[in-house]
Amino acid sequence: MKRRIFLFTATLIAVLASRESALANDTCFECHRNTEDKPSALFLHDIHHDKGITCAGCHGGNSKAEEMEQAMDKKAGFIGVPKGDDISKACAACHSSPEKMKSLGSSLPTNQWEFLQTSVHAKLSLNGKEHIAQCATCHNSHGIVSVKNPSSPVYPLNVIKTCTQCHANITLIKSYNPSLPVDQLEKYRTSVHGMRNAKGDPKTAECASCHGSHDIRSAKDVKSKVYASNLPGTCAACHSNAEYMKAYKIPTDQYEKYAKSVHGIALLQKHDAGAPACNSCHGNHGAAPPGVESVSKVCGTCHALNADLFSSSPHKKAFDQRQLPECETCHSNHDIIAATDKLLGVAPEAICSQCHNETQNVKGYQVAKKMRGLIDSLEAVEKRDQELVYEAEQKGMEISEAKFSLRDVRQARLQSRTAIHAFNEEKFAEVINNGLKTSASIAMESESAIHEYYFRRIGLAIATLIITLVALFLFLYVRRLEKKQTK
Amino acid sequence: MKTHLQRIYSWIDERVELQGLVEYMGKKYVPVHRHSIWYYFGGVSLFLFIIQVVTGILLLLYYKSGEELAFESINFIMSKVQFGWLIRSIHSWTANLFIFSAMIHMFSVFFEKAYRKPREITWVTGMLMFFLALGFGFSGYLLPWNELAFFATKVGTDIAGVVPIIGKPLMIFLRSGEEVTGATLSRFFGFHVAVLPGLFTVFLSIHLLLVQRQGMSEPLHIGKESERKTMPFFPNFILRDITLWLLVLNLLAILAVFFPWELGKKAEAFASAPAGIKPEWYFLCLFQTLKYIPGKLWFLDGEILGVILFGIAGLLWTMVPFWDRKSSRGEQNRFVNYIGLFAVIYIIIFTIIGWLA
Repeated sequence: MKRRIFLFTATLIAVLASRESALANDTCFECHRNTEDKPSALFLHDIHHDKGITCAGCHGGNSKAEEMEQAMDKKAGFIGVPKGDDISKACAACHSSPEKMKSLGSSLPTNQWEFLQTSVHAKLSLNGKEHIAQCATCHNSHGIVSVKNPSSPVYPLNVIKTCTQCHANITLIKSYNPSLPVDQLEKYRTSVHGMRNAKGDPKTAECASCHGSHDIRSAKDVKSKVYASNLPGTCAACHSNAEYMKAYKIPTDQYEKYAKSVHGIALLQKHDAGAPACNSCHGNHGAAPPGVESVSKVCGTCHALNADLFSSSPHKKAFDQRQLPECETCHSNHDIIAATDKLLGVAPEAICSQCHNETQNVKGYQVAKKMRGLIDSLEAVEKRDQELVYEAEQKGMEISEAKFSLRDVRQARLQSRTAIHAFNEEKFAEVINNGLKTSASIAMESESAIHEYYFRRIGLAIATLIITLVALFLFLYVRRLEKKQTK
Repeated sequence: MKTHLQRIYSWIDERVELQGLVEYMGKKYVPVHRHSIWYYFGGVSLFLFIIQVVTGILLLLYYKSGEELAFESINFIMSKVQFGWLIRSIHSWTANLFIFSAMIHMFSVFFEKAYRKPREITWVTGMLMFFLALGFGFSGYLLPWNELAFFATKVGTDIAGVVPIIGKPLMIFLRSGEEVTGATLSRFFGFHVAVLPGLFTVFLSIHLLLVQRQGMSEPLHIGKESERKTMPFFPNFILRDITLWLLVLNLLAILAVFFPWELGKKAEAFASAPAGIKPEWYFLCLFQTLKYIPGKLWFLDGEILGVILFGIAGLLWTMVPFWDRKSSRGEQNRFVNYIGLFAVIYIIIFTIIGWLA
């Protein structure tokens, strides 16, 4: 133990001694300090200053030279104030070198420059000579402190301000991407994340939590953390971390439920980029859980017809009175499963039976029972039609029209599922009857094709028999004739 | 008392002297020997041609030529027109059986040396009809305007295009342009229902007239005239012919019901060619041979060489009565037999290989 304390102390003394010696020789800093200029005042608290890096570390030149001309001699590598990409290159000279970073006792990653090159900020700026953002754009130039330091512009509570310096500047953003909104900050301040951030909670999500820091990509880029199929994983990084979310007392199983839901399967397994991700219901920058009264509006952005029908249905008033969230009550929220006909009706597994039974809300019970009967009958005839068409096809009959009409029956069944949301027996029956009518014509056509198949075979048998008999008769007649002729 | 039939006969006889023809037919005899069976294939081919004419006319009542209508009209015939499926299937099956039967007829005539003097014109007209039958098959194949037909026609007309000097203009003439389009379909339809039947009828008339005029040829190796057996052409041979025709009709009905001719997918000019595009079976041996010929042979393009060789072979085959002088003198010519045998084996083997490929 004593040995370890000795070694640590010795190393500390050595590092401090070398820093002191370096800074003692940093004539640039000494002179600038004497002029009391702003850069040197800021550099005094800079992490690089603490690490013993002199002005020449970034600006080049000879920091040990007594004379200004010698110190700022271009032959000694003096570059003055770096401009454009030279700024990032100066940073990368050390920050991309694991050896240098190690020698300075830093454990920071050394791939920031590499990541920055792949980011949306690596596009050329308007003048076409440099990239849009340099390291100093976000981290400042003098007075750079650790990201964990609350005074750092990239500290979680300050990131919002740093990013919006550009992203809320409509003139600047318009010149690069006119379709990119500039109201993210405004929205963010209305979100749960934004409100908590404003209250000084550094754990809540800020810009970099979702978009990344150095490797920020366009939301349309499949590698972006906020690309549709990556977004649930990005949100889940915090929201599925029970330890991290402990203080907020909200569930952490949303991702697990979502991944098994009809939406999650469509997006994560079937790679349907149009399927809803977290932000589709909760919003992006203004992320918040939709309130009870607005659930149907949120779902209705995609399921517009269902939402409209529900709004004019008798259930609307009943749900409002009971403060029941509209869509969620029957379909749940994160774990929405594919809606099947089983949800309808009065069987124990049917959703309707939760509120309607033979003694309570009887009218609804009867309507649910009838509607289930109707949709079941349509499903049964569709199945029968499929079998008939298949049989006719297998028999080699031309049945393409009936086969095509099968789609109409399926469409009627899908429409009926939408029509359910009106909870109006008459309208529902109308949709079902359309399907039943089409189904009847398919059945007739298929059955007639199957009948035709047997008719052809029977016809062939009769025709073959007659032709064979005639041929046999002719053969026997010729034989008899030839016998007569030889006599 | 005369029956009604006798009265009708007398009425016609008074005007066109039918009795003379009947007496002539009554005196006409068909040789009977161990190769007589081959005589029937001429009749079967004729019967199949008649079926083609009848079913073709019936199809014409509903068929609509044109890129946008051809496929749909055949589909309509197959699914909506009463017995349309039967007529279309019989027409397609008969087309194949007709060429098959004509081939048997041609080879039997060849091996029996029935082309020898004085039947040179009968042979040449027969050969011309055979080439026209291939033309019927090729032009008719495109008419449903389905995927297979479209690409097979493309390949087929490409082959025609490699014929030296006249190839390119011939291809453009056949296609009615640089590519196979709706214009090609209209042109093929015209060939199939007007040009080819017109020419065919002329040759068929000459062919039948000569067969009636000259009678059936007898093989060279048949015995002395006193030992030769014959049967009256009418009614014996005709009735035997009809019996066989009825059996062929039975076969056609069975094929049409159990193996209805498929329509396939509608042709899409911009779609990629489906895998395994092949011509009809009667072009397979030519197609397969062209595949085997190397791309470049000395200074000649392989495909051109193949087409030239087939052209020369076809011409020599057609002209056999004029260079096989031995048979005309009544002498045995084994060389011709070997050539015929080689042709049969070659066609069978290459057709099978093409079919399996």
